[in-house]
Amino acid sequence: MTTTVFGEGLERVAVRAITPDIFWITHCLGDAAAAIYANYFSMLPNAADYTGHRVVDYPFSAFLIRDEKTLMIDTGAPRQQANTLKAVEHVLGDQPLDYIWISHIELPHAGNAPALKRRYPMAEYVAAAGGEQYALHGLEGARLTAAGEVFTLGKHALEVVAPLFVDHGLSQWAFERTSGMLFTADWAHNLHEPARGECFMFLDEMTAGGYTAALHADDIAVNAWYQFPWLKWTDPDEVCAAIDALFDRYQPRILAPSHGNVIRGDVMGYLPLIKAGMRKAIAM
Amino acid sequence: MIRHIVDDVYQIAEYLPARAGVEAVLVYVLLNDGLPILIDCGAQVHRVGIMRELTELLDARAPEVVILTHSELPHAGNLSHIAREWPGVRVIVSNVMLPYIEITPQVPLANISTAHAGALLTPAGRPLQFVFALLKDQPGSQWIFDPRTGVLFCGDGFGYATTAADVQLFGDELPGGVSVAQFRGHHQTAFHYLRWVIPERFNADMDALFARHDVRVLAPIHGNAIRADIPGHVARLQQAVAEIRAAGVHA
Ligand SMILES: [Fe+2]
Ligand SMILES: [Fe+2]
Ligand SMILES: [Fe+2]
Repeated sequence: MTTTVFGEGLERVAVRAITPDIFWITHCLGDAAAAIYANYFSMLPNAADYTGHRVVDYPFSAFLIRDEKTLMIDTGAPRQQANTLKAVEHVLGDQPLDYIWISHIELPHAGNAPALKRRYPMAEYVAAAGGEQYALHGLEGARLTAAGEVFTLGKHALEVVAPLFVDHGLSQWAFERTSGMLFTADWAHNLHEPARGECFMFLDEMTAGGYTAALHADDIAVNAWYQFPWLKWTDPDEVCAAIDALFDRYQPRILAPSHGNVIRGDVMGYLPLIKAGMRKAIAM
Repeated sequence: MIRHIVDDVYQIAEYLPARAGVEAVLVYVLLNDGLPILIDCGAQVHRVGIMRELTELLDARAPEVVILTHSELPHAGNLSHIAREWPGVRVIVSNVMLPYIEITPQVPLANISTAHAGALLTPAGRPLQFVFALLKDQPGSQWIFDPRTGVLFCGDGFGYATTAADVQLFGDELPGGVSVAQFRGHHQTAFHYLRWVIPERFNADMDALFARHDVRVLAPIHGNAIRADIPGHVARLQQAVAEIRAAGVHA
């Protein structure tokens, strides 16, 4: 399946198959990104390192697994609601949606959960346990999970992963065992350039077009600095040891962060670069 | 329930049962000489109660500005309703926030502006200092200091649960004030990353913030205002941060 795009500008949503049964449903701005991310690098504490840097774009993604049962990881934001629903219907056809699995409860991750539930009334909300008031967040009746819990969907099985780096307290990551896809929510994402046609590309396609490891490590650092302002108070060795342990345990073959281009091969090969990016973020 | 805190600052509180007792969800109101400013605007599930108390407190005046400490639904869930009720209302969020995707589309983008940490702005004529939030549960979290009253609006920071019997008391009215255990209970859930944070470094930044601003009232969203013994409460929060770290990265 090629990339199918619904709508445009602030509302556009694309859908693209990562494997025959796992779909990337993603919003990014394309030409409209230049205005919104004009200061993305100039707001950094080490802005001088990035003068003349790229005009970048920042995706907001959901992932849809289609099997005997179907599961959607995150939902996108309300501004893209109509096109997100079109993308889901495009993938599922007549099949119902069984699980609306939420990584954490911010609008770009969970904001379309009620709309999906209205469209697919039998779908169950799934969120991380921990005493949160999910009714306050519009997720009344959510099934609460713990790390290690597995959702068997048919050929696919989604395991709940204890997240390493989070902003909101109650967050979950996930590992799909058949494909080897690790979903890391707000962590380990790159940036892309609409002017180079990089919207909706897989990372290897960007690399073929000239996206370098140095840019990638920079992007990991810059995004982590924005996403996790608390990193400056942490110990880089401890952070890197935890990343090693995570990759060791899951040996991911696909890396699917919420806000980057999907990596669909040699994920282990990116480990040194990701750790270097995190060290850089901590030092900023 | 409406309670007067200091000068022209009020809190409107809704409460709900939580694991550790009762959790508060507050809206703060600065009457501001007839040009009211709201700090956060409560959850959608509390819409009826909040709107009734807001209308009473504002005495038929429209709020000029809503300043969001961050955009999660317990803080911004009622925003679409407020924007429908008072279409002229302006919204201020942190400049690290992306209003087009993080704020409800019911608020026109033209009505939303951003503030950067360190800025002194005068929304509705009121000088307010925007402060780097030391406890952020979103990249776009911000704290706001009101020099006129000494109130620091600190979002999810300094939150605490209480027992049902104490629910209407200000933090300083609890015997001994808010305890280390209360702060720890809230912060280890709300800021799960604190297990990574080296307490000495974090606490030094906390000391610097309180040396910079003459904070006389702490105004958390998930806990009633704390109007006295600010140094004692800061010290107990710092103790809670140290205990969360001591419990370990994998706690
Ligand atoms: Fe987030
Ligand atoms: Fe995110
Ligand atoms: Fe929050």
